[in-house]
Amino acid sequence: MARVIVVTSGKGGVGKTTTSASISTGLALRGYKTAVIDFDVGLRNLDLIMGCERRVVYDLINVVNGEANLHQALIKDKHCENLFILPASQTRDKDALTEEGVEKVLKELEHMGFDYVICDSPAGIERGAVMALTFADEAIVVSNPEVSSVRDSDRILGILQSKSRRAMEGREPVKEHLLVTRYAPKRVEDGEMLSYKDVQELLRVPLIGVIPESDDVLQASNQGTPAIHLKDSDVATAYQDVIARFLEEERPLRFVNYEKPGLLKRIFGGK
Amino acid sequence: MADASLQGKLIEFKGASLAVMTAHVRETEAVRLADALHMMLGGMPDFFAGEPAVLDFAQLASTPDRVDWTAIISLLRRYQVQPIGVRNLPDYLHDGARRANLAILGPEGISAERPIAPPKPQTPPPPAPAEAAPAPQPAAAASTAPPSTMVVERPLRSGQQVYAKGGDLVLLAGMSPGSEVIADGCIHCYGPLRGRALAGARGDTSARIFSTNFGPELVSIAGVYRTFERGIPQAVAGRSAQVRLSGSDNLHTLEIMPLQND
Repeated sequence: MARVIVVTSGKGGVGKTTTSASISTGLALRGYKTAVIDFDVGLRNLDLIMGCERRVVYDLINVVNGEANLHQALIKDKHCENLFILPASQTRDKDALTEEGVEKVLKELEHMGFDYVICDSPAGIERGAVMALTFADEAIVVSNPEVSSVRDSDRILGILQSKSRRAMEGREPVKEHLLVTRYAPKRVEDGEMLSYKDVQELLRVPLIGVIPESDDVLQASNQGTPAIHLKDSDVATAYQDVIARFLEEERPLRFVNYEKPGLLKRIFGGK
Repeated sequence: MADASLQGKLIEFKGASLAVMTAHVRETEAVRLADALHMMLGGMPDFFAGEPAVLDFAQLASTPDRVDWTAIISLLRRYQVQPIGVRNLPDYLHDGARRANLAILGPEGISAERPIAPPKPQTPPPPAPAEAAPAPQPAAAASTAPPSTMVVERPLRSGQQVYAKGGDLVLLAGMSPGSEVIADGCIHCYGPLRGRALAGARGDTSARIFSTNFGPELVSIAGVYRTFERGIPQAVAGRSAQVRLSGSDNLHTLEIMPLQND
């Protein structure tokens, strides 16, 4: 059975695509055959983050409309053997997505022997976002530690509970995970940001990880490399922890406490 | 929602809550009504800004032989009131009202007669914020059904709405800001109460709201409501608390008090 995971948030710019890229890469690195689908039709980004934008020939909408088959549209990742990307169409809009079409694509991926399908949701609560979560078995809800992002995540959790197939058919509900991203322990300590505990208390969803705010993410995006590949980076380590927890391994939370810079660091500077 | 995922369903019926104004009409002579309205709102012809209204004739001073509905409706329209129906109208006048495209509503048609909050300086006047508007049906049928309790086990999320018709509502996992719960009876909330909670939606003044973690955006009992612009009172914020109506008849006030089980 292919497990369908939606990465969603309601709000834009919180790190959904970064998370989709790193989670799918992480699962593929663990040996699972993984596909990642960009549902942001019209504002496609995932291909850039994955560094495959020059290899896009066919896209999700072509497959939905039967203009191309899935084999033609799936792009093999340049780093991982087991990872495939299904890009969004840049020239269409979200109305081109149909429930039947998406279901057909997911069924076909299952036939092809995929273990995990990651659906990278667009921002908002409209058609694209609803289509991305309709067939989900699990949801990773990405939230930044600030109130408007938390409110939007709450809204999307409500939509998961009402519009997902699992909810509509009265099956076991979608398994929810909370991922707090762009976390700055110093700003939390200074009282400028919600702590991850506050976010979790507000949303009441099990926490799967905390990703620290870091310049590395921007750098990784510009290079077209998922952040999880970065060497010696807190972000990469944090995403690896997320993968471990997702596969039900125990990992302590890291990068959530602010450490005062030591004397040497203060004298000699450095990041 | 003009969502294309609903394509195929060209029409869909859903229960909805509708805030609606009641106009108590004590006179059916259009000319005298026009005078009265002019006295009341002379300088503000668009005061009502298209609000829908139910015309209630319970307090009619004298029963006329016939009513000039066209005149009354065009008069109300001039003040941008949209008359949608009538109630408590003597039976022999129903035909005329129907011909004027007004709905005939039972006395319970748009929720029962209920007390309205005594005017507070900073709160807007009635209509009450959310009145339950169940599908018009004979009142007797509703009252014979046994009261039932609705239990919600999962957290209620922003944008979600629950209406416990005819009974109590129990929330086992709290509710988030931006959600709304309405019950005809009491509301019991285990966990954070953060959205809008409206108990006694059909006018039950003995309904109460209980919460183990008090912090709503709005509470209302039988239409008497309160918001918390200046924050939740210290004594109850984040703690166990109950909300109830005190006073009697037309002088109801909302009381919010801590519960002793902390």
